[in-house]
Amino acid sequence: MAQPRPPRLHDNGGRDFDAKQKRKIAEIYQVLNNEPVDIAPLRRMAISEGGLLVDEIRCKVWPKLLNVNIDDLLPTPEEELRENSKDYQQVLLDVRRSLRRFPPDMPDEQREGLQEELIDCILQVLQRNPQLHYYQGYHDIVVTFLLVVGERVAATLVEKLSTHHLRDFMDPTMDNTKHILNYLMPIIDQVNPDLHDFMQRAEVGTIFALSWLITWFGHVLSDFRHVVRLYDFFLACHPLMPIYFAAVIVLHRASEVLACDCDMASVHHLLSQIPQDLPYETLISRAGDLFVQFPPSKLAQEAAQQQAERTAASTFKDFELASAQQRPDTILRQRFRERLRAEESAKSLLATKPRTNRFVKLAVMGLTVALGAAALAVVKSALEWAPKFELQIFP
Amino acid sequence: MAADVESSLELSLSSSYVGPLPPPRSRILKIIVIGDSNVGKTCLTYRFCAGSFPKRTEATIGVDFRERAVDIDEERIKIQLWDTAGQERFRKSMVQHYYRNVHAVVFVYDMTNIASFHSLPLWIEECKQHLLTNDIPRILVGNKCDLRNAIQVPTDVAQKFADTHGMPLFETSAKNPNDNDHVEAIFMTLAHKLKSHKSLMLSQLPDNTIHLEPASKPTMTCWC
Ligand SMILES: Nc1nc2c(ncn2[C@@H]2O[C@H](COP(=O)(O)OP(=O)(O)O)[C@@H](O)[C@H]2O)c(=O)[nH]1
Ligand SMILES: [Mg+2]
Repeated sequence: MAQPRPPRLHDNGGRDFDAKQKRKIAEIYQVLNNEPVDIAPLRRMAISEGGLLVDEIRCKVWPKLLNVNIDDLLPTPEEELRENSKDYQQVLLDVRRSLRRFPPDMPDEQREGLQEELIDCILQVLQRNPQLHYYQGYHDIVVTFLLVVGERVAATLVEKLSTHHLRDFMDPTMDNTKHILNYLMPIIDQVNPDLHDFMQRAEVGTIFALSWLITWFGHVLSDFRHVVRLYDFFLACHPLMPIYFAAVIVLHRASEVLACDCDMASVHHLLSQIPQDLPYETLISRAGDLFVQFPPSKLAQEAAQQQAERTAASTFKDFELASAQQRPDTILRQRFRERLRAEESAKSLLATKPRTNRFVKLAVMGLTVALGAAALAVVKSALEWAPKFELQIFP
Repeated sequence: MAADVESSLELSLSSSYVGPLPPPRSRILKIIVIGDSNVGKTCLTYRFCAGSFPKRTEATIGVDFRERAVDIDEERIKIQLWDTAGQERFRKSMVQHYYRNVHAVVFVYDMTNIASFHSLPLWIEECKQHLLTNDIPRILVGNKCDLRNAIQVPTDVAQKFADTHGMPLFETSAKNPNDNDHVEAIFMTLAHKLKSHKSLMLSQLPDNTIHLEPASKPTMTCWC
C-alpha cells in the first residue's frame, strides 16, 4: 500500500501556502468566537488574499457581512408560492437551463432537488418584496448562495442582498443598471485613455459587461471556486465594486483589445469571452486600488455624461452616501425626489472632494506592493460606510 | 458559462491572410434575432454558426454574438448573428444599441408555445421603434417543429400573420438532425436575398461597415 501523502503542488510554496491558509482560518475563527463579533476584521479577511478560503467559513461569515442573524431565518415558503407568482414561468425556464452552475459530478437527482429549492428561494424573496423585479441572471446569484449555505440561510441572505447590493438591478426597468454600467468607461479612461478611446471608437457599448455585473460574474465563470472567491470580495465591499472589477478585467486585457479590429462586433466578442485563467487575486487587489483612487463620487459626473438622456443622473452621488442609497426604503422614497433634484445634484457633483493624502498613499502602496496594501485600503473605505450600513440595518 | 456555446466563434473572427496586399475585409451582414425567452434563439444561431444543436444553453443575458463566414457567389461574407435576451426588461434599455445598422431582423416564436406567437406584435412594434427605416428585411421563424405532438400554432394561422406583416415564414427545428440544412438554408436565403437584391446592394463604406440603401419590401419564397 502506498504511503498516504498530503497533496502538494510545490513543496515549499505549497507548505507556505498551507501554513498561511491555516493561520488565516484560525484567525477567522478567533474573530468569530468573540461575542459580539467584530465585522471589520472579517471584511478585511474576505477581501485579502484567498478570501474566506473554504465554504465552511463562508457559511459563518457571509451572514455576518450581510448583517443577517441566522437564528432568525425566513420561514419555509407557503404551498401556493408558485401558483401565486407572476415570475414563476420565467424563473422556471432560467433555472431549468442553469445546469452549468451545479458541480458536474453531482447526481442528477440531487441537482434536480436543488433546482427546485432554487426556484422556491427566488420566488419567496420576490413574493416578500413586491418592489423587487426578477431579472435573468438573478438565478445565477441565488444558486451561488444556495450551493454554499443551503436553502433557508440562502433565502435569508439573498433577501438582504436583493434589497441592498442588487437593489438597482431589480427596479422595474434597467435604467439604473445601465447607469451603473456607465461607470465602466470612465474608470478605464482614468487608467488607460488609449484603451478607452479605442473602445469608444469601436462603439462597443457596455453590454458585454452586463452579465458580469448583474450576476457578480456567476454567469460567466465556470470554476465555482473563483465565483465564491469573488463573492467574498463583493460582499465585503461597496455595492459598486463589481463594476470596478469589470473595468480591471478589461484593463488587464488591454493589449488584446487594442489588437482587435476596431468595430463593435469584434470588441464585443473578445470581451464577452472572459478568460478562465484570470489572476484573480491580483485583479481583486487592483480593483480595490482603483476604487480608492477613483471613488464613485469622482466618476459620477462622467458616468452621467455617458448617458444620452440622463434618467437617473445621481443614483450614487458619493461612495459614502451610496450605502444609504442602497437602502430599500430610502431608495423608493428618494428615487422620486432624486429625479426632481437631478439638476441640483448634477451641479453639486462638479465639486468633487479632493483626494486625501491617505488615499493617495494607500493607493500608491496598493499599486506597488500589489496584494495586501490595496486590500487594506479597500477595507478602510469599506469601513467608512460599513458602520452606517450596519446601523441602518439594525435600527 | 457559455463556453461550449461560444466555442464555435473562432472560425470567423480571425481573418489570416498572407500576401503583399492588406487583407480584403469581408463584407458584414448584421442580423438581429429576437423573440420571447426560450423559443430557441440561442439554439438557432448556434446551429447556424457551429453546425450543431448545442448540448445545453443558458439564459441569454443582454446580447450574445455569433458569426460565420460564408461564400456567396464567390464573395466571402461574414454573417453576424446578434442573439438577444428574451426578457422584456433587457429589451427596453439594453438591446437598443445593437439594433444599429442591422441589415435584417429574424423574429422567432416557439411553435409549441402559443404565448410566444402572441408576443410577436409587440416584438414587431418594438423593432419598428428601434429601426430607422421600414425597409429592413424581416423574416419569421417558427421553431421546434420537431415536437410534432405539442404544436400549438397551426401553420395556416402563422402564415396568415406572416402575410399580414409582409414577412416570409419558415417553420423549422434547431434540434432535428434530419433538418440538417434547413436552419442553414434560412439564413443563407436571407444572405442571398440581401446580397443579390438590386435595391439592397450592400455598399461598402471606407470604415468597412456596410449600409443598406433604401429598398422595397423583399419578396421571398416560403420554405414550409
Ligand atoms: N425540441 C426542441 N427544443 C428546442 C429547439 N430549439 C431550442 N430548444 C430548446 O428550447 C430551450 C430554449 O432554447 P434557447 O435557445 O436557450 O432559447 P432562447 O431563450 O430563445 O435563446 C432549450 O431547452 C432548448 O434545448 C428545437 O428546435 N426543438
Ligand atoms: Mg438565448
